[in-house]
Amino acid sequence: MTCRRRLAAGTLPIREAKAPIKRRFLQRHVSQVALSPSLALIAIFLYGFIAYTAAVSTTNSKAFPRFDTFVGLEQYWRLFHTPRWHVAFTNMFLFGGLFLLVTISLGLLIAILIDQRIRAESFFRSIVMYPMAMSFVVTGIIWQWLLNPTLGIEVMMHQLGFESFRLDWLTNPDTVIWALVVAAFWQGCGLVMALFLAGLRGIDEDIWKAAAVDGIPAWRVYVFIVIPMLAPVFLTVVVLLSLSIVRAFDLVVALTNGGPGVSSDLPSVFMFDMAFRRTNLGLSAASAVVMLGTVLAILIPYLYVETRERA
Amino acid sequence: MIDIRISNCNKNYGSLRVLKDINLEIERGEFIVLLGPSGCGKSTLLHIVAGLDRLSSGAIEIGGRDVTDVEPKDRDIAMVFQSYALYPTMSVRSNMEFGLRMRGKPMAEIRPLVEDKARMLHIDHLLDRRPSQLSGGQRQRVAIGRALVRDPKVFLFDEPLSNLDAKLRASMRTEIKKLHQSLGTTAIYVTHDQLEAMTLATRMVVMKAGEIQQVGKPEEVYHRPVNLFVADFLGNPGMNFMKGRLRLEGGRVSADVGAATIPLDGYAFDTSPTDGQAVMVGLRPESVQPSTGGEPFALTLKPTLIEHTGSDNLVVLAMGSEEIVGKFPSDMLPKLGEPVAVGFDLSRLSVFDAQTERRI
Ligand SMILES: Nc1ncnc2c1ncn2[C@@H]1O[C@H](COP(=O)(O)OP(=O)(O)OP(=O)(O)O)[C@@H](O)[C@H]1O
Ligand SMILES: [Mg+2]
Repeated sequence: MTCRRRLAAGTLPIREAKAPIKRRFLQRHVSQVALSPSLALIAIFLYGFIAYTAAVSTTNSKAFPRFDTFVGLEQYWRLFHTPRWHVAFTNMFLFGGLFLLVTISLGLLIAILIDQRIRAESFFRSIVMYPMAMSFVVTGIIWQWLLNPTLGIEVMMHQLGFESFRLDWLTNPDTVIWALVVAAFWQGCGLVMALFLAGLRGIDEDIWKAAAVDGIPAWRVYVFIVIPMLAPVFLTVVVLLSLSIVRAFDLVVALTNGGPGVSSDLPSVFMFDMAFRRTNLGLSAASAVVMLGTVLAILIPYLYVETRERA
Repeated sequence: MIDIRISNCNKNYGSLRVLKDINLEIERGEFIVLLGPSGCGKSTLLHIVAGLDRLSSGAIEIGGRDVTDVEPKDRDIAMVFQSYALYPTMSVRSNMEFGLRMRGKPMAEIRPLVEDKARMLHIDHLLDRRPSQLSGGQRQRVAIGRALVRDPKVFLFDEPLSNLDAKLRASMRTEIKKLHQSLGTTAIYVTHDQLEAMTLATRMVVMKAGEIQQVGKPEEVYHRPVNLFVADFLGNPGMNFMKGRLRLEGGRVSADVGAATIPLDGYAFDTSPTDGQAVMVGLRPESVQPSTGGEPFALTLKPTLIEHTGSDNLVVLAMGSEEIVGKFPSDMLPKLGEPVAVGFDLSRLSVFDAQTERRI
């Protein structure tokens, strides 16, 4: 066995030595060569434009980028003195925090319920997963209709006889954030449930049996053993959801369009508005850079933990 | 005193009958090994004793109490799993303590108990580690420790050593045996490793396709298998079988196996033999030895193949159109193709009816 392996290893350099130099280069670097076009594209269109955006954020560009109007960090100063940005930035954390909390806890709960080897499991699984197939725009419009006081749930409840029922989330600046949370949860829950369910199914059956013999009640097994075992899934879910929070743009545009007023604004909406409606490209670029910073603040610790675990 | 009584136990999965009318009585302090090929229902039977699976019909008694409908935690049992099933997010100490804590035992009693058992299993220096920081053998010790601290009436083992390498398996086997000798707790142990079964069992149960084939002391099952399946399943290399017919002449019985006629004068028949009965004559390789001249029955046979195992030489011998294997001492190396005198230990013969495959 070892002899054969040594032989196999030995043939490789010999063949390589015989090949002409050009071919040898290709053989050695075939993966790099194959990947180089996409690497070049990524370098230009991702990192290139990130750098470009950062550059624009130091100018006083209006409708078009103009680099002769260098103003240093003034756009950032302006950004942090714009009340609407503060609303948008705070909303991101408010919406994000609530969305994470609701989606993770309910997603986990649904996964645990489905994991009880219930009847018609695939039926329930599909129901929870279906919204995932819809774009945020469709989700936004559906929930706009559902939450519309003259069309949706409120009218239905009135028809059912609950005359005093009121659901004015979309028109009340204090609660409009909940409309976003509910719609985003409705769409994101399926993915979270699927990830948790896969995690739960991956847990060794024998752990449950050992716990049954040890006399540990099911809820304690979940709290003390199973849920801690799902820690990697939690991490993945948090990162995925966090990124969708930062990206959440279409949902807000379709559901509330930032309103009433600017009360449901998110940084992405702010950025879009500044760039394309208010012709303030410099400020918009500054907000984009701040958002990138926020994403990196989430991503870097995650990557750090991931790579450290692998090592 | 009967500690575990399994009566008329059946288990079906839909139309699949996994256990068929199992009856078994286990005395206090016995070490019962369930042995059988994969899928024969060993784990299912063990899970039923543990209460992890419901039986379709029948009853289970533990310690004189009917536990058929009792939860696993109230059966006073502890179980060790093939995959160890340690709680990965807890330290070794917490793994061992958790079951006792759940039972409301005060910490002041749990601590010394856990430390005592940990010392016994040589894992006391590992108590503050996580299971993922342990080797396979150490994990299995922890799993055994977790079962020990509970001080149960019955230990259940489901192939606890099959994930370990051969050497570790042998040493753990010895330790489990010592443990059982010092504790004297009733145990049921599932394995498909014959060596484990033979060395550990006070009695072994051989199963096939959901049915018990034979229950008995290891040497009894090994030397007096009740049917062809058990005879064939045990032993490595397997038993030699020679097809033949019985001959009754003048009050003497012999088996005509084609190439030879084997006298069965000393054979203790379970059922009375009939003339011309089709039989399989079984003889284990270690009963086929180079002749010393003193055996009552010897043949001259040609070796066709020799395998060296280190401790002995396995010699394949042509016998008519069939072949039999003999286990020769390592210093006895016959030459291929040169006939040798081979002595047969006829006191170790097993004769089976060819039709019913039962011992006769
Ligand atoms: N949940 C189940 N549903 C249907 N069939 C099952 C189920 N569990 C076990 N079986 C079947 O029951 C039979 C016995 O299974 P069991 O696990 O007891 O075998 P085993 O003797 O322990 O085998 P092994 O040595 O491979 O562990 C197998 O044929 C298996 O396919
Ligand atoms: Mg099994």
